[in-house]
Amino acid sequence: MKEKKYWPPYLSGIGLGITLLLAFVLMGRGLGASGAMMRFEVWFLGLFASSHVAANPYFAKYALNPLSNWLVYEIIGVMVGGFLSGALAGRLKFTIGKGPRISNKGRLILAFTGGTIMGFAARLARGCTSGLALTGGATMAVGGWAFMFAVFAGGYAMAWFVRKQWI
Amino acid sequence: MAPFYKFDYFSEGTGFIIALLLGVSFGFWLERAGFGSSKKLALQFYFRDMTVLKVMFTSIVVAMVGLAFFTLFGWIDMTAVYINPTYIWAQVIGGLILGVGFVVGGYCPGTSVVGAVTGRIDAYFFLGGALFGMFIFGEMFPWVEDLFLSGNMGAIRLPELFNLSTGVVVFLVILLAIGMFYGGEWLENKFREEEA
Amino acid sequence: MNETTITSGRMNLGVDPVLHAWGWEIPLYLFLGGLTAGILFFSAIFYLRGRENVFKAGIKIAPMWVPPLLAIGLGALMLDLSHKLYFWKLYTTIRWESPMSWGAWTLGVIFPLSTAWAATWMKDVFPRWDWKFLIIEKTVDLLIQYRRWMAWSLIFLSAILGMYTGILLSAFNARPFWNTSILGPLFLVSGLSTGAAFVMLFSKNELERKRYSQVDMVLIGIEIFLIIHMFMGFLASTSVGIQAADMFLGGPYTAVFWTFVVWLGLAFPLLIEIMELKGINVPAKLPAILVLIGGLILRFIVVDAGQSSRWLYKFME
Repeated sequence: MKEKKYWPPYLSGIGLGITLLLAFVLMGRGLGASGAMMRFEVWFLGLFASSHVAANPYFAKYALNPLSNWLVYEIIGVMVGGFLSGALAGRLKFTIGKGPRISNKGRLILAFTGGTIMGFAARLARGCTSGLALTGGATMAVGGWAFMFAVFAGGYAMAWFVRKQWI
Repeated sequence: MAPFYKFDYFSEGTGFIIALLLGVSFGFWLERAGFGSSKKLALQFYFRDMTVLKVMFTSIVVAMVGLAFFTLFGWIDMTAVYINPTYIWAQVIGGLILGVGFVVGGYCPGTSVVGAVTGRIDAYFFLGGALFGMFIFGEMFPWVEDLFLSGNMGAIRLPELFNLSTGVVVFLVILLAIGMFYGGEWLENKFREEEA
Repeated sequence: MNETTITSGRMNLGVDPVLHAWGWEIPLYLFLGGLTAGILFFSAIFYLRGRENVFKAGIKIAPMWVPPLLAIGLGALMLDLSHKLYFWKLYTTIRWESPMSWGAWTLGVIFPLSTAWAATWMKDVFPRWDWKFLIIEKTVDLLIQYRRWMAWSLIFLSAILGMYTGILLSAFNARPFWNTSILGPLFLVSGLSTGAAFVMLFSKNELERKRYSQVDMVLIGIEIFLIIHMFMGFLASTSVGIQAADMFLGGPYTAVFWTFVVWLGLAFPLLIEIMELKGINVPAKLPAILVLIGGLILRFIVVDAGQSSRWLYKFME
């Protein structure tokens, strides 16, 4: 089957916005992603080094029942929803997303590096693009807006240095 | 009255199932927009594809206007809705670093999950990196704690900061979004012509 | 020696108010029992319908996994027993009214029978297989002539085995959540469904995978129906039944049960299988893996929840 086109951004944005609105109406909170990853992380660390987790002032915040959490269930849903959408559009296949001027290995190294930077930053800022920029943006939280503009600023400032990766 | 969970319409366990369903919708729309592809996300930073900006601002406007009207009708109690606390320096510096991570890694945490389930191998590496980064943050926490707590302004919102009414801020955000949309379309066209 | 005198079950802290008797061993055993019942059931049925050359994975290969899987299950069961050396006492009686007796005897027959059944297929699957001893060779050759008989008995025995994994629990009338007659059919259907999923994991034949996938879809449909029916039954019964159901409708088991069993273990694989049938490109093994995991979690939750459901008081939070 041929890959279908992505839906127009405004339509997707409306769908996403209604989902976010429903989250506020039903649960009184927005969506998120990095918090769930943090909880997977603490759960995983707890399997091997529970005393270390308990001793660390940051990990300890998440140590009690790390997986019994709203965001964890939400991110499981994200997996299902993303999979269904990808399957319906014929977009399920193993590929590496990159520009034409970088090797696969180079891209994967940069993906890991970027992930590391982002994981660190998301914890520092108390959220990521979904949990802070999107959710905080919709509730007009000052931190959410400041964070969003900072993200774009950081991205545009760095873009020139890694341009070979993408264009 | 909404938010239903905060007024005990259902238990925490039921809330988790709602989380799952909302997550399905979240993931579905992210993938529909093309956010499972790191290249599409990253081209935002080269003005070639402004989808990220458009989707983000559309959804913020939709949710924000919805909340504003629901408050007006008395359907939702905004004091019971979670407002992200503002720690301005932690969030500005965190945002700058996160932006760097975004353009280097090509994903943000939510979109990397979508990328991973649709088979993007770079998304798996990104996820591994993100978990590693969080681990580093936890281990370094005593050293970054001061920064983490700096600029605490509480759960402050734009209307209070600028001393404007909610309606005015909503209106200004809509104006900003429309400006962004026009700017985004214009930039896309311009850079597409250059490429051709 | 410390002697404990128990004059009433209510004095036993391991039983009342919450049963603490069963950990991971019993659910694993129930899962493997259901899974092997499913594998044997379909192997026998499709053999009798003359599909042995098409449905190679389902009829010939999957049954070879049955004896080891059953052995693991029985091993888990043995670990759970306090008096391991006395299990044979179950075989000294036949009691029609006891599911334990049914289970012990069924397992006692089905274990050697499934081994023999698998043995008759060895040469089909591995053409150069050598039995080493002439006597085994001859026995297997003899058994091959009785395949039809074996298939018929396997159908009946596997149905009993599948049922028994549920009835074992529903015979505990002191635990309201288990004390429902739907648990037997539910575990049987779930076992058959995991059996079909197991075959889908191994099958390389498009036709076979499609047929097993269709069977699996029907079974998932029945399973969802039975689950809904079970809760309707609880809600329409006395307040202990309602309290038992409340554990799943807003109580402590709600999120895990509906997320991992109903959505990820039944509805989502059903959806993927429908999509696959419609020609949409999806990873074929994904629904099978999800069904297997969902079946395993179903047993864990049912065993765990049953132990904390009880009479007289509200369930423990």
